[in-house]
Amino acid sequence: MYVYDTLDKEFLADRASEFREQVGRRLSGEITEDQFKAIRLMNGLYLQLHAYMLRVAIPYGALDARQMRKLAEIARTYDKGYGHFTTRTNLQFHWIKLADAPDILDELASVDMHAIQTSGNCIRNVTADPFAGATAEEVDDPRVWAEAMRQWSSLHPEFSFLPRKFKIAVTASPKDRTAAKVHDIGLVMKRARDGTLGFEVIVGGGMGRTPYVGSTIREFLPAARLVSYLEAVLRVYNRHGRRDNIYKARIKILVAALGAEEFGRQVEAEWAQIGPESDLPDTELARIRSAFAPTAFETLPARSEAFEAAKAADKALARFARNNVKPHKKPGYAIVEVSLKAIGETPGDASADQMDVIADLAERYGQNDIRVTHEQNLVLPHVKLDDVPAVHAALAAAGIASANINLITDIIACPGLDYCALANARAIPIAQDIAEHFRDQDRAEDVGELKIKISGCINACGHHHVGHIGILGVDKKGEEFYQLSLGGSGAEDAAVGQILGPALPAHRVAEAVDTLVEVYLRERSAGERFLDTFRRTGAAPFKEAVYAGAH
Amino acid sequence: MKALTANRLTDGEVVFWNQGRWVERFADAELFAEAGPGETAEGHAKAQPTVVIEPYLIDLIEAGELWAPLSYRERLRALGPTNRLDHGKQVEGGDVVEALQHASGAARSTGRVNLIKRK
Amino acid sequence: MPALIRFEGGRMTAVDDPFTEIADDEGMAPGDVIISLTRFQAEGERLLAEGRSVGVRLEPAEEVEALAYDLPRIALVALAFPKYRDGRAYTSARLLRERCGYKGEVRAVGEVLREQAQFMVRCGVDAFAPADGSSAEEWEQASRRFRHVYQRASDGRAPAFAERGE
Ligand code: HEM
Ligand code: SF4
Repeated sequence: MYVYDTLDKEFLADRASEFREQVGRRLSGEITEDQFKAIRLMNGLYLQLHAYMLRVAIPYGALDARQMRKLAEIARTYDKGYGHFTTRTNLQFHWIKLADAPDILDELASVDMHAIQTSGNCIRNVTADPFAGATAEEVDDPRVWAEAMRQWSSLHPEFSFLPRKFKIAVTASPKDRTAAKVHDIGLVMKRARDGTLGFEVIVGGGMGRTPYVGSTIREFLPAARLVSYLEAVLRVYNRHGRRDNIYKARIKILVAALGAEEFGRQVEAEWAQIGPESDLPDTELARIRSAFAPTAFETLPARSEAFEAAKAADKALARFARNNVKPHKKPGYAIVEVSLKAIGETPGDASADQMDVIADLAERYGQNDIRVTHEQNLVLPHVKLDDVPAVHAALAAAGIASANINLITDIIACPGLDYCALANARAIPIAQDIAEHFRDQDRAEDVGELKIKISGCINACGHHHVGHIGILGVDKKGEEFYQLSLGGSGAEDAAVGQILGPALPAHRVAEAVDTLVEVYLRERSAGERFLDTFRRTGAAPFKEAVYAGAH
Repeated sequence: MKALTANRLTDGEVVFWNQGRWVERFADAELFAEAGPGETAEGHAKAQPTVVIEPYLIDLIEAGELWAPLSYRERLRALGPTNRLDHGKQVEGGDVVEALQHASGAARSTGRVNLIKRK
Repeated sequence: MPALIRFEGGRMTAVDDPFTEIADDEGMAPGDVIISLTRFQAEGERLLAEGRSVGVRLEPAEEVEALAYDLPRIALVALAFPKYRDGRAYTSARLLRERCGYKGEVRAVGEVLREQAQFMVRCGVDAFAPADGSSAEEWEQASRRFRHVYQRASDGRAPAFAERGE
């Protein structure tokens, strides 16, 4: 893990003290709410329906045990004993008091954490593959680049007042776990034939009210030129992105208006003028890289007899192994995904006690490494196969051993109208309904990979546009209704879903999802996921079934 | 019927106006039958920028014998999140909370009378 | 006359502003003036010929490149921040300094708040007309709030990676 040095620490301390002063000026009336709003938003502090919400940055979703324990402590001391992990791999506290916020920032800074740029029209927390450093698929460790970008983007003097927010994701695996193609910039690392590393640069993806899958503007950017190239993209966007209408201010609108080719040309022209002086020196890249040097892995046999025996004896463990345990690059190790989608619970929520359990497990069995996924789950990236049974048992005792990763009950949901001031409808209860409906694990496994994503309004924080089944809350004359869309994906096969038909009332949603699943089970050919079947058959059979009774 | 609501500056708590004071329970809110007094109160509230944030009037409808906010959103503000019945104002229980929980016939998701025009 | 703060020799100092800002629909005043780009394009030659110092005000949508040829004759460029959320002028400032090599005054006008002080200084702005009434001391404090920075910019401050290398 990257360990903050004195400079990084002093930077966070300075930020926390600045915010303390700003809160003081607001409380005393020296600045207005309007002026303060922009300031608090730069520190991730929103006003939601019931209280303030503080969004804590988890750069590239990586945490160590000490940090996770601090989050648990903050949850207990300043909130109601829990936190909400988000689709941008951050953590939100939903019951924060403004007067406490400066103390919380100090607490966070004490473990090298912060809330910088978790909101506002700036470069947001950079996300990366949650399996970084653990998967054999990757051509490089994307955290190195994500950390470089964290530093480069922190209080960037030129790019802190962009037309709109700006989100960057980086992955180095062909299997995309970051939703790179629906980010403002998605970076996919590649290794050229001659062995050099580079990025495919995808720009202009995004969700919100006009969803787009991003376009590749450069097939191969030499890795060392990343910062100057980003600077060129951001500069073109900062100058030419629309500022007259916040719904048209994201980079995706500029890219769509100019065309990806023209946008790319402008970026290249700007980049040529910037030159390599803006790039990070090799020495700094090497320094960052050394922080992510592989931890000492033991030499182990690829097969763990203890694990195999435990699986044979324990069906729940076997199920957990099938769904939540993923191959590690080192023999004898595994990547363990911890689902925060227990049936009946709020997707993405973790109690302080659960956070402590994860921290303990990471320390004891997981090389002190924890990741957050954009699907609102956690990952212990380096667990010995021998230790998986013990990890599973501890998770089960804490109520977080749901064996449902990527299954129909592994649902993404934004906070929706239960918390969010912008919402049209609730999202969480819909997720809970659907999960209850598919409580039968055997059926869920039979259905296989099926990504349901729910947003409480068109801002699409719950990624509904890219759900295999997307669900959008809308307001029909004051009643909560839900619009279904099918065929979306946020992964390497990214696509925006197609709206199925008229919105449904809340009590019909789970049933409609059930109908969709039945159609899939009827129509599927061997090896097809729900998404594949949908793409083959088109919407017709699904639509017919869901609206059969309607007239 | 209307009520005047805001979030308190220091802690974000949902508060309601009652005769110049801010109270935390919807049950204790002052109800305005006429537009005039409601708007006067709103004017006073707006002059307290270091006490509350963005005060606004909300529409109420009858819920059984009692009054409830017209919009779903405002009911949730007066109650707390529906996924955590152990959080927020609803924990206290009582007649008014129950009336809100069972109120039906919401008419729009945002009950912010003035904001609708602003948007 | 609004207070002006100038960044000189590493210090923020309150100064008297010798310039008069002239709106497009106003008559010309004597002495040193700041005018819009449009007006400069029409009247600049004449005003300069009169021997006065002329500053040009650039709106965020106006590109600094439009001024490139005239920069050596311009005493100051006033970059407008109509809303402090409008960040285009940061790019303008950097391009003026880094790409055009402009050495004259770059002034921030409009909704200029102390929250922006460090960003502005880093982008090469060296005169400020704060809208929040901040004093030179407050402005200086705000501009030096962060002991470290992470990027190269126009101010020549050593970024963290350079500090680390020392
Ligand atoms: C107070 C709560 C929240 C507010 C006010 C809020 C606001 C917004 C807005 C206005 C947008 C649309 C931006 C645009 O398209 O320009 C948006 C998008 C987004 N938000 Fe949120 N959000 C909130 C909570 C969350 C949460 C909890 C998550 C994660 C679960 C999240 C993640 C995202 C993501 C991933 C997008 C989407 C897509 C994109 O970048 O185009 N937000 N949010
Ligand atoms: S999608 Fe809408 S309702 Fe959900 S969190 Fe985002 S802004 Fe709120």
